[in-house]
Amino acid sequence: MINNPSHPKKGNLKSKDCKFSKAGIEYIDYKQTDILERFINDQGKMLPRRVTGTSAGHQRQLSKAVKRARYMALIPYVTENMR
Amino acid sequence: MKKDFYELTYILNPVLEDEKLSEIVSYINNLIEESNGETVEVDEWGVKKLAYEIDNKSTGYYVNLYFKAPAEAIELIERNLRIHDDVLRYLTLKYDPKMLRHYELRAKGELPSFFEEETEEKVEEED
Repeated sequence: MINNPSHPKKGNLKSKDCKFSKAGIEYIDYKQTDILERFINDQGKMLPRRVTGTSAGHQRQLSKAVKRARYMALIPYVTENMR
Repeated sequence: MKKDFYELTYILNPVLEDEKLSEIVSYINNLIEESNGETVEVDEWGVKKLAYEIDNKSTGYYVNLYFKAPAEAIELIERNLRIHDDVLRYLTLKYDPKMLRHYELRAKGELPSFFEEETEEKVEEED
């Protein structure tokens, strides 16, 4: 998000490796919103794979987790762009 | 009887008094026990701010629980949650082996850390 210094779109992405494979994460939990928030932009949209470097399998899991988290009101569906 | 491992999270109306809240929580837990299930872990997150308003409410009382139950029990539990006026949202997940491993790691506090890499990078930058 906008205040996230490690956000991939802030040019902080050093490697194009999948961060989930690297960390050895098997299942992406919708409750871990701190992780999910790194993969959505400030409008609440998911970032594409080409930006984050996430592997296809993990991207699918991630999208499921984001949708579950949105349903449970843990992360927003939409946020109005502040400007 | 074959039992599966499930996770259930639900959001309760935060306006209710504490007694009423714990009453509902134990009502749901009883429901699981009565339908031949067993609760493994009940974690009440408490009142949290919602990311968006549900029924004009901006906060909700989150309850997250893990249980083992036969498949038929889920229908009964979900029906009861659906018709309950004070339940804003509920989500039941059936755990597959991957998720179970994740759960066990979390229970042991050995979840692979996602943020480790970042701290390493910071150290490098300081050098």
